[in-house]
Amino acid sequence: MPSTRLRLGMVAELTQLEALPEAGAGPVVDLPAQASRLDQAFADFIEGWQLNWLWVRLAHQDMRIRYRGSLIGPFWQTLTTAIMIGSMGFIYAKLFHVELQDYLPLLSSGLIFWQLVAGIITEGCGTFDAVRGIIQQVRLPLFLHAFRLVYRNLLIFAHSFVIVPVVLVIFPHPIEPLRLLELIPGAVLIAINGVAISILLGTLCARFRDVPQIVASMVQVIFFMTPIVFPPGALGSNQWLATINPLYAAIDVMRAPLLGQPTGAHSWQLLLIITVLNCVVSFLFFARFRARIAYWV
Amino acid sequence: MSYLRLQNVSVDFPIYLGSSRSLRKLLVSSATGRGNLAKDSSDRINVRALNNISFEVGDGERFALVGANGAGKTTLLKVLAGVFEPTQGRFVSSGRISSMLDTSVGLNGDSTGYENIILRGMHMGIHPKDMRQHVPAIAEFTDLGDYLDMPVRTYSSGMMIRLAFSISTYIPPDILLMDEWLTAGDAQFLAKAQRRIEEFVAGSSILVLASHSMALLEQWCSRGILLHQGRVLMIGPVKEVIDAYHELAQRSAAEAEAAAEAARAA
Repeated sequence: MPSTRLRLGMVAELTQLEALPEAGAGPVVDLPAQASRLDQAFADFIEGWQLNWLWVRLAHQDMRIRYRGSLIGPFWQTLTTAIMIGSMGFIYAKLFHVELQDYLPLLSSGLIFWQLVAGIITEGCGTFDAVRGIIQQVRLPLFLHAFRLVYRNLLIFAHSFVIVPVVLVIFPHPIEPLRLLELIPGAVLIAINGVAISILLGTLCARFRDVPQIVASMVQVIFFMTPIVFPPGALGSNQWLATINPLYAAIDVMRAPLLGQPTGAHSWQLLLIITVLNCVVSFLFFARFRARIAYWV
Repeated sequence: MSYLRLQNVSVDFPIYLGSSRSLRKLLVSSATGRGNLAKDSSDRINVRALNNISFEVGDGERFALVGANGAGKTTLLKVLAGVFEPTQGRFVSSGRISSMLDTSVGLNGDSTGYENIILRGMHMGIHPKDMRQHVPAIAEFTDLGDYLDMPVRTYSSGMMIRLAFSISTYIPPDILLMDEWLTAGDAQFLAKAQRRIEEFVAGSSILVLASHSMALLEQWCSRGILLHQGRVLMIGPVKEVIDAYHELAQRSAAEAEAAAEAARAA
């Protein structure tokens, strides 16, 4: 790492250019930058994070626009989720021969966490594609778009999450209050993974237009394999399906403390390993292709 | 001191869509694509949108980009805006860049004109807190009056231009990049826009304008560049560049006619 802090696409030493005019007060752009790809990608990340005032506002703006003119606004999200959970709950509890008392808390928390995780993955395909107008006109750090996307999904999640306490009040469970603290590292890990996966999928989907469809169908398949609408025990001898499923791990570490159940034996380990892998792969991939993304979208 | 400097800049566009073969046919048969296509090792079609371009624009210059459709003007503007990193060569700029490559960026159709002033400002890196104090002055410059309370999707394209231009230029950038859409504004607004641009170009800023309106370029710009199939044909005083452009257009029209004649004869 050079000692001077990198600005996006900017390097301090401009000596190679003969008779370069004095740099003014304005920012200097020098492309292709002389810094290594990894340094540039890292600078993109840092600068994207520093623009948090921008992506926070853009995400709120996204929400406002999505629900503009509607009476209850983003609480439509809450309402549709509640209706889905209510109707599914009654039918599936009968199908699986389980008590509503046990089933509805499991289903509601599982489904809401699933919506968060799956939402980020599916939208992650359009991280860059959906904002091509901005990418092709203004030089902004690309990580900004991933932060905006994940933050927006967390906002949506916060709106539907209010269902969970309501369900838990109607169908009380023995909860250890201290274990609720586990929700914090869980949410942080989901957010980190969310940023990494939206960078990775966003880059991949900008180049290969078939990927969004593949991702969408895979997410669909994983939904049916993941113990969300059915209790984990229902997998029987196929328990490994849940053990190796990183999306289940992500849901489990959040859901178990809410339901007062023990977290799956390997859930935290799996989630941590996946987080490291996800970040490394996604960052390297991004560093390699960052400069091409503007051409692809 | 602001400047733009390009050294042997080339930009290659990989084309992935469709089968490369049919696409090649398509592009070769079109008048604009001829000459800047190349095939790379993995049998993929590369469009060389810009080929070995070098020039420099300095303080207070008003620089015109001239060329036929597909000559590379918009790609060049995107390089200047810093969004396309050159595949070869080097691009260096100093100064705060405001690019108006199309009207729509940072404008949201469902938001009102006023909201969009803040929104586009954010995309230019201006915090809403700072932007809010400029809103009245920007609103006044647009001459849109009560329309600013309406959603932007109800605007005509001329009104969009007024709004986008007013926002992008209110805080004078060091470097202003404009694609040809501005010329779609009405005469009254163009006069107003020109006055504003003259103001800040006098204050050592740079304007780069791409347009097909030679009259406008002659009026607004001092120097220019003639692009043809991604190459620089000429750099010089705007008048000479425009003459060269007309000559080129006549020559290619004559060539096309000759080719058509030859085809008929065969």
